[in-house]
Amino acid sequence: MKRIVGVVLALALAPPLAAQTRARGGGGQAPRISLRPFVLATGERLAAKNTFEAAFGQSVEPFWGAGLQLAVRRLFVEVSASRFKKTGQRAFRANGTNFGVGIPLTATITPFEVTGGYRFIRSTSQRLVPYLGAGVGSYGYKEVSDFSESNENVDTRHAGYFGVAGAELRVHRWVGVGADVQFTHITGILGQGGVSKDAGESDLGGIAARVKIMVGR
Amino acid sequence: MFWLALLFVSGVRGHGQAPTASPRVMVQERGLPPIEWGIIADLSRAPDTPETRRRLSIHRESAILDRVGASGTRYVPGRVIVKFRNGVSNVSRVTALSAISRTASMFERPSYANFDVVRIELNEDAEAVARALGQRPDVEYAQAAYRVRTQLVPNDKFYSMQWNLPLIDLERAWDIQPGAGSAITVAVVDTGVAYTSATARFHAFPFRDDRGVLYPSLGDLTLSFVAATELGPPSRFVAPHDFIWDDNLPLDLDGHGTHVSGTIGQLTNNGTNGAGDTRNGGGTAGVAFNVKLMPVKVISSDWDDIFGSPNEGTDDIVARGIRYAVDNGAKVLNMSIGRTGEPAPVMEDAIKYAVGKGAFVVIAAGNDFEAGNRTEVIAEIASRVQGAVSVASIDQSRKHAFYSSTGSWVELAAPGGSFRGFPASGGILQQTLDLDLVETFNLPPSRYTAPRFDVLAYFYFIGTSQATPHVAGLGAMLMQQGVTDPAAIEAALEKFATPCSESLNTCNETVGPNRNNSYGFGLVEARNTLRGLGLAK
Repeated sequence: MKRIVGVVLALALAPPLAAQTRARGGGGQAPRISLRPFVLATGERLAAKNTFEAAFGQSVEPFWGAGLQLAVRRLFVEVSASRFKKTGQRAFRANGTNFGVGIPLTATITPFEVTGGYRFIRSTSQRLVPYLGAGVGSYGYKEVSDFSESNENVDTRHAGYFGVAGAELRVHRWVGVGADVQFTHITGILGQGGVSKDAGESDLGGIAARVKIMVGR
Repeated sequence: MFWLALLFVSGVRGHGQAPTASPRVMVQERGLPPIEWGIIADLSRAPDTPETRRRLSIHRESAILDRVGASGTRYVPGRVIVKFRNGVSNVSRVTALSAISRTASMFERPSYANFDVVRIELNEDAEAVARALGQRPDVEYAQAAYRVRTQLVPNDKFYSMQWNLPLIDLERAWDIQPGAGSAITVAVVDTGVAYTSATARFHAFPFRDDRGVLYPSLGDLTLSFVAATELGPPSRFVAPHDFIWDDNLPLDLDGHGTHVSGTIGQLTNNGTNGAGDTRNGGGTAGVAFNVKLMPVKVISSDWDDIFGSPNEGTDDIVARGIRYAVDNGAKVLNMSIGRTGEPAPVMEDAIKYAVGKGAFVVIAAGNDFEAGNRTEVIAEIASRVQGAVSVASIDQSRKHAFYSSTGSWVELAAPGGSFRGFPASGGILQQTLDLDLVETFNLPPSRYTAPRFDVLAYFYFIGTSQATPHVAGLGAMLMQQGVTDPAAIEAALEKFATPCSESLNTCNETVGPNRNNSYGFGLVEARNTLRGLGLAK
């Protein structure tokens, strides 16, 4: 994870690629092809509301990450990696209510996502660019508790898919800020055991509000 | 009207049935140091043995004999338990009583009761009076004073002999919670507990055994009582109370309550320098070995009867004991007691009161499987109250114990032991009174002597009485873990129980999760219950 963030930051601080074609007029317009690293902060309302509330007391959780976007005219492709890690407690559910049992549990979610999308660019001087996208991801899930034997912890990875809609605001010639909403659906991790099974929740995804700070034109 | 009210108040002490003054005299609140034996392999206290039948039938020569009701349930004649609806005036109460029975009068309401006790003539049919009262619109319920008994089946050291504790994965549970319930008080609603040293004087009245043989009076006896060394120091016991003798000295004249207390919270891991039975390497272990214990005596033993205790173990006494326990801070109530027969609304009311006050109530499911397998009244109440559970018994091979009652009221199973197909070590081992020196009434009259309550030994007992304290101890540990809602404790215990199969007659993880009549939701599993669940596993 640290390695990925490092690579992304290096890319962010790198000069524009030679392949980027400058437009006329001294750099006021976006290139036709650009490679833009970004950092990402996400607040996700997890679909497994009861499950996360049982362990952490809340179901809106932060993810931190980074990625790289390749934009070709109106199309873009980006890859990103992020992570959520939090320590709560083991719990159980009875009669629709959650009860914590005070035993520390640390859950880690590491999404690795690939997104393809379309940018609604109408003019070369447009500062706010809406975009739509969709993609697939590979989602790692790790669960470690005190007093557990090795086979009682969880370390798995499953695929999921998502859709995203948002807009990017160019705040500086080299810096853009993107804000979007992403709907993710991840199956195969929750719902087969633990509190999630009792809560009847099998989706590790949710609705995420994301803010991206992109470097590049 | 005034005179009618005055009549009501004065009637409180009417009909020559005022309670006999307690003949027990406290000589001093200390006694000689205890004598301790090791294990005594005695199979006599098992369901339906001659000794058990004999103990049930012993009655003081001058005592008012229990009457058997229409359903075959024994009750104490001369009184009816009644609860009037809120707002019913004293005058209306007197009117109601006089309409039902010419001789009925009411005693002053006893402590820790939301009901009244009506005195009637000894020869009146208490069940009929209760039925008639119960049909009145101003009465919520009325019932006879049915006898409640212990659900033990005893017989008679040491951890390696306590197969019952590893069987419910308790060792790994202790890793999770080494505190083992130190902030929780468990009330032992039972025959009393050997919790203190004392010397007391009694008068032993003559009595007849099950064959009608008369045993002579032993006259005035000055008896020494000792505290069970393995239950810990006096500071461990909170708010002791005796509803059989109406005082604060719930001494165990039977051994049942002491044995049950041991399984709940016997000092554990005290083998070398511990405070307990160091001579024997620390004795036995208990489930929640740091809990506070509250001895609440509500069951009269044979010796209580022979000594002429003012009260017997009837529904109203047990109900008061339950209310007393929760009002004085108990968070878990262990009730290794039960009865069959008529409903017990007074008990149901008390159990709901206890759960409403945040106490988890654990009740024995009954030992009558081979004796008609009739519905256990108190356990059946537990099955309808979220936060109260009834507990059946399994043997060392995780099978249904031969005596354990089965029915829809069974909610959980725990080790209660068995001597059938197993040696004495098939029972549940704990320290208690030396029964050979307590139950001298089992000897012929020529050898009948005063009992001794100052000698301790380790006995294997069997019964749902022995299964119940495992669950009470676990409930206390779960409560210490932070799960304080009694209904949630019940749900957790049921959820994490190992499923058992009625058809395969065993408990293991390969059988289905369905509740059944022999095991309820299954065999309690200590470690998994305390550990709860992760998000995904």
